[in-house]
Amino acid sequence: METFLIVAGIIGLVLVLMYNNLISKKNQVDNIFAGLDAILKKRYDLLPNFVSSVQEYTAHEKTTLEKITSLRSEAMQSSLKSDSKIALDNQLSQALNGLMLNVENYPDLKANENFLHLQRTLNELEEQISAARRAYNQSVTDYNNAIEMFPTNMMASFMRMERKTVFVTKEGERKNVDVKNLFQK
Amino acid sequence: MTLLSSLMDYYYESMYPELKILEDKRLAIVVKLKKMIFILLFACIGFCFFLIQSGFFIPLHAFILSGMFSFLIYMFIYRHEIAGYKSLFKDQIIEKIIYFINPVLVYEKADYIQEGEYVLSGIFPQNYDRYSGNDLVYGAIDEVSIRFSNLHVEEKRHDKNGKEEWYSLFQGLFFVADFNKDFQGKTFIFPDFAQRTLGIFGEWMQGLNMSKGELIKLDHSEFERLFVVYGDDQIESRYILSHALMERIVDFQHKTGKRLSLSFVHTKMYLCIDYKKELFEPILSKSLLEFAHIKDYFELLALFIGIVDAFKLNEKIWSKR
Repeated sequence: METFLIVAGIIGLVLVLMYNNLISKKNQVDNIFAGLDAILKKRYDLLPNFVSSVQEYTAHEKTTLEKITSLRSEAMQSSLKSDSKIALDNQLSQALNGLMLNVENYPDLKANENFLHLQRTLNELEEQISAARRAYNQSVTDYNNAIEMFPTNMMASFMRMERKTVFVTKEGERKNVDVKNLFQK
Repeated sequence: MTLLSSLMDYYYESMYPELKILEDKRLAIVVKLKKMIFILLFACIGFCFFLIQSGFFIPLHAFILSGMFSFLIYMFIYRHEIAGYKSLFKDQIIEKIIYFINPVLVYEKADYIQEGEYVLSGIFPQNYDRYSGNDLVYGAIDEVSIRFSNLHVEEKRHDKNGKEEWYSLFQGLFFVADFNKDFQGKTFIFPDFAQRTLGIFGEWMQGLNMSKGELIKLDHSEFERLFVVYGDDQIESRYILSHALMERIVDFQHKTGKRLSLSFVHTKMYLCIDYKKELFEPILSKSLLEFAHIKDYFELLALFIGIVDAFKLNEKIWSKR
């Protein structure tokens, strides 16, 4: 009887540890996503100002600016799932990077103090977003490993935990726009 | 290479005339010490015979006692003789090399990084009983404020027999600089022994150590192999440790070949390089008139002063401008 109790106690303890481990990994993903979301929100808040300061000078970038505005409105919907948010953020980053490259064609815009300030802030936010993406990817990898590796996979399938997707950045997007270089041209 | 050749010009044009006088002093000290060794050797033998003759000591004890006695006298004389030379050496060589590398830097041979900064870095949280240092260098390079010095921090411990002994917590170079990004939390980087020796089990153990914050797993394989990172914010630690900075830290680690520990606290970067000896000290056996000897000091100082450039601390992020 005593042996049975000890074995049952050990099994119970292992189950509790496995459960807590899975929950902490899931919460870690949620926490980091919340952090990423907060930085993304800062960028969304900045975009209307950015778009209005750019459109004064850039007649030919109308399509890109409209795309940025519509992506922003889509991304700000609170009902969005994390996967969709990630996809929208990727598209938004791509559109912004393209716009930053085209700024070269507008000398008046390049001289505008307000635009420069917004551009600097966006660049810094881009750095923070990149850090948050890396943190999110690491936490998702840890989470995915935990739900797929034995023996925690059994507990995870019992808890109906599903794989999460990591951020995938296209090769061209990995490199941030070097604005400093751009202006020195 | 260009810097090295201009150092050679500087050495022969600006340093050499004064070094000749210092070299004479060094040679005089060497001769004096050699004489002293000779005299002490005779004195030691004489004292040893006297102790044996007195009948109080067996030959082995008499030999050890007289040997120790002579050694202590020699060390006393050595320290006395070298003190003045050491000071002149630092004035005429170390200070001039620093001036050559970057004239805006200030050198204070007797000063060192203050205890407050050492504690604030959080790299060594242990209590200590003795804190000393020298060779403080400070100033601003490309608007980046830097400070570094030799430090030796020790803790008093007792061995099994209750005998008191001094244990080094840190000995080497302590470097502080403004970091090029703004941040609120703390991030610590230490050499990774556990994961390298114990693999996954080591990593699991590192995860349990919460004294420095959460374990931060990074996406740079070489950096991860060499270091373990802790921080109180997963995102912010990665904001600080961009891929480029991790690459630079790995390069610096390979360049020095020493144990590196870093922390990022209060928008400053703290870097500790273990040397297990005092740097920038004169070596009596080497001639000052040999450029190769002076070059060693130059390379070491250039390495430390070059940290700003090596880590690109001068490339400030927009908000720090």
